[in-house]
Amino acid sequence: MKKIAFATIASCLLIANSLRAQNHVPLKYTNHTEFGGLFGRAKFQNPGNPNERFVDNRLNMTLQTFNGVMLNSRLAAGVTVGIDWYKTALLNPISAGVRFDLTRKGEVRLFTTADIGYGFAWFHDDSDGFGTTGGLMINPGIGLRMGKPGGTAVTFTMSYKRQEAHITKVPLWNQVERWEDRVYNRLALRLGISF
Amino acid sequence: MKTNSLLLFVILAATMCWSCNDQCTETRITRRFTNVTHSLLELRTMVKNESPKALERPGKMYIKGDYLFVNEIKEGIHIINNKDKSHPEFITFIQIPGNGDMAVRDNILYADSFSDLLAIDISDPHNPKEVERIKNVFKNGLFDGGTWTLNETTGAINDQNVDFVTETVTVNCEEDVAPGWWGGWLNDSFAQSSFSGSAASSASSGGSSGKAGSMARFALHQNFLYTVTQNSLHLFDVAKPSKPKDFSTIEFGWGIETIFPHENKLFIGSNTGMFIFDNSNPADPKQLSTFQHGRACDPVVVQDNIAYVTIRTGTFCQGSQNQLDLVDVSNPSSPQLIKSYQMENPHGLSIDSPTLFLCEGAHGLKVFDVKDKFKIDKNLLAHFKDMDAFDVISLGKTLLLIGKDGFCQYDSSNPKDLRLLSKIPVGKAI
Repeated sequence: MKKIAFATIASCLLIANSLRAQNHVPLKYTNHTEFGGLFGRAKFQNPGNPNERFVDNRLNMTLQTFNGVMLNSRLAAGVTVGIDWYKTALLNPISAGVRFDLTRKGEVRLFTTADIGYGFAWFHDDSDGFGTTGGLMINPGIGLRMGKPGGTAVTFTMSYKRQEAHITKVPLWNQVERWEDRVYNRLALRLGISF
Repeated sequence: MKTNSLLLFVILAATMCWSCNDQCTETRITRRFTNVTHSLLELRTMVKNESPKALERPGKMYIKGDYLFVNEIKEGIHIINNKDKSHPEFITFIQIPGNGDMAVRDNILYADSFSDLLAIDISDPHNPKEVERIKNVFKNGLFDGGTWTLNETTGAINDQNVDFVTETVTVNCEEDVAPGWWGGWLNDSFAQSSFSGSAASSASSGGSSGKAGSMARFALHQNFLYTVTQNSLHLFDVAKPSKPKDFSTIEFGWGIETIFPHENKLFIGSNTGMFIFDNSNPADPKQLSTFQHGRACDPVVVQDNIAYVTIRTGTFCQGSQNQLDLVDVSNPSSPQLIKSYQMENPHGLSIDSPTLFLCEGAHGLKVFDVKDKFKIDKNLLAHFKDMDAFDVISLGKTLLLIGKDGFCQYDSSNPKDLRLLSKIPVGKAI
């Protein structure tokens, strides 16, 4: 999985560089840093009664920064590094990212974002007997950029975030092995700045 | 227009995301038990020699001289000629229903068969013969987590067959701590699961004996065979090896797992701690002390007044610690913790000072230099990750290792670079 993620990031960067070379656009650095919340829900079986299901809301904090280059006046490509504080997993997604302006004019512009990569559990500290590893992450979305074209802007982004994780757990009772495959499906709402 | 369509699509997709739930599934491989009843009269007619067969569910190992004994859980014992370590040869399989442990004194193999202790003459390893049976000495036990109990009134063993079932359930995506006491109170006991524990131990004067693992429940010392059940230490007089006699029983503790004789002490591992017995008088061991730890499985080996105790989670070993404890037992009446080291999932271990071989289950085998008791984690000589290691016996220049994949022998002259001598894979006889 990690290899696939790295291959994806590398491919995106190569394609982006190729596009930039074709367009003969001089490199211009761009940064887009955001923080916000990951909103979602979980529906799960009642451990005491498998026929009964509960639903709980989930909200976690997210922070990420995109660093890249402008490939043309509307498209930027680069690498996004972030940190997501899920309740029982602290994950660091590293991904290839693009930012594309859908509208050209005005001080409020619509743009899309897309990040794909791998969430690492480098800084996660497990409880004894548990082992958390990260997994594939994808994060497409749409946002508003408020500010003068070519200058610093404030952004508001709404995106879908899918993050996988794998957790090995302490076996209970007469279990021999126990593990959890986790997929976080979240609506990410973020505020940020870009320049 | 095109932009508007795209915008509409993105908004729709984002709205759909709002209805997405976290999807978390927990997979559990669980034991399922089926109750069965065996007639003791029938069980006692079932001990017989069979032609060599492949390892299927290997349990404990025992080595004596050129012969290797590998327990097939609940089924019997493989006798393997190990004179040529590069080409071990299966000689015979002794079918012993309900067998989990063994020990060898001279030419007599002691083995349990549910409630009975057997003495088997292996002078001719091709044709072992049962020479003595002490009936109804063990009252209950565990195999793979399934319990059996002796019903003397009806002359039956009430047993449980064990199957492994995989189930998947949805969970709340937020569990990260092990539940408390209810999370697996059962303990590994009398001849437990396929791979458990490991090396060093046994033997001593009073005749020639072999070497067992640190999870052994049988140990020979002087003229006695010591066996541990879940809550007692049982002594058999083996002054005349072919005629073992039921000698005495010492009741203590519970959840007892292993016994390791060392000099004139008996180190007994239970799932709540380590008991130390003074065995100066081999006929009458006296409890000196208990070293308590959290509940977990804990094979123990001892050398140079240091007890090496591994504590692991998993199986029936409730608890959430995976560690190696070094305990100063120079004053056996008051064992003192030297230091604890975090491990991944430590199982059996074997000490050949200054080298400690430690099985980490699916994480392989670790080799430590233990000269500096306070920096063992800094002195990892080697970590062999490409092997499944559950049980190890160090014989100086040779290392015996058993794991899910089978049984391996290594040349351990250089502990940093083990050289494979031979391998008997599970499911394949040699």
